[in-house]
Amino acid sequence: MIETSKLNGSRLLSSNIACQHCDFMMAEPQLQPGQVALCPRCGHKISRLRVNAVNELLSYSLTGLILLILATLFPFMSFTLNGNMMEITLWQAATEFYIENYKVLAFVVFFFIVLFPGLILMFVFSYVGTLILFGRRFYSPIIVSAIFGLLPWAMAEVFFVGVLVSLIKLTTIAEIGIGLSFWAYLLFCLCYVKVLSLIDKHQFWSWMDLAKKI
Amino acid sequence: MTHYSSGSAASLGLASCHRCGKLSDIALKRCGRCHSTLRLRIPNSIQKTLALLITGLIFFIPANLFPIMHSEQLGVIESATIVGGVIILWEQGSYPIAIVVFVASVIVPIVKFIILFWLCYSVHFNPSVSSRERTVLYRVTEFIGRWSMVDVFVVAILVALIQLGGVLNVRPGLAALTFACAVIFTMFAAMCFDPRLLWDKLANNNVPDSDTRNIKEL
Repeated sequence: MIETSKLNGSRLLSSNIACQHCDFMMAEPQLQPGQVALCPRCGHKISRLRVNAVNELLSYSLTGLILLILATLFPFMSFTLNGNMMEITLWQAATEFYIENYKVLAFVVFFFIVLFPGLILMFVFSYVGTLILFGRRFYSPIIVSAIFGLLPWAMAEVFFVGVLVSLIKLTTIAEIGIGLSFWAYLLFCLCYVKVLSLIDKHQFWSWMDLAKKI
Repeated sequence: MTHYSSGSAASLGLASCHRCGKLSDIALKRCGRCHSTLRLRIPNSIQKTLALLITGLIFFIPANLFPIMHSEQLGVIESATIVGGVIILWEQGSYPIAIVVFVASVIVPIVKFIILFWLCYSVHFNPSVSSRERTVLYRVTEFIGRWSMVDVFVVAILVALIQLGGVLNVRPGLAALTFACAVIFTMFAAMCFDPRLLWDKLANNNVPDSDTRNIKEL
């Protein structure tokens, strides 16, 4: 079992790294929790280590996952006009596209709003979890690559803004009801954004080196 | 052989792994940590970026000409384009929402196209704008790209929610698909662009001391 304080310090053999945005070479920053390292030439954020990053990553990713599962189980929104009511779940945001024969779009929406954010939280939880519990790597290079490969394509927070826009669009023409899933998805988004702010490419990969050596 | 700015890893024959960031000798061919192929720069970065940008632009044209959704109320079909939807919102008096949708689905893609085309151009023809400022522009495009999807998600919600038989129905339009494609292709274009190219032609004079460490408290 690795102490979390060790991971937070990330004391590695001091070596050089290059900025991903301008290729400027510098000594690898040894960050203390609460510090951020910027590239001296282009200002790119090389790495940021939040206070208590490991514990918060674990707790927020697990909470987010549970909330995401809850968000798929209950009604998301309902719409009432002249006595006619329509209620949808989160799934229907994607499946209705499929029914309307926009199949590609159905998959894109499903991947962007449910699958990718969920996978990211799952991978973060399993990577950080196994690292702390066993101090060993389980397929870590694949998992960490997957996390950073999926990041640009997970659009939970963008979807939520879309939901708010459509809510305001619809309140003028009909009565809109908000279901349990809506609140679950809102809380999931907050956890997801919190995890995003804690994920750091440099730290994630250097934790792996640390685990290998122990 | 192209030359690299002094102070850069590439000028010493060291490649920073595109996947994990580990610095290794380019002669090793593969990264020792994540086993991906080592490259000094993204191969054919400008060509790939331009190809994907043009593809995105081709999708962006029908995205603005065709309706993004059709609403059918008691047998009467009304179609709205992206800009048309913004105008309707504005006329209804929901100004903040109209501005959000207009910025996300019109301003952001156009700004992104202009910046990326200009960045590709600027790699070959050194402009007066400094490398640092152009890198900031690149970061902006990387960050704002995904927010264009807002409109597609709005259509997804409306199509799913407004299904009241013959009373009121909303169906997706062709623009929803082409707009999503335009966004996805420009996101790929931004990923293919290598911002390090903006620094390679830099003269040696404004290289900071490599010992100056920029660590700040949050």
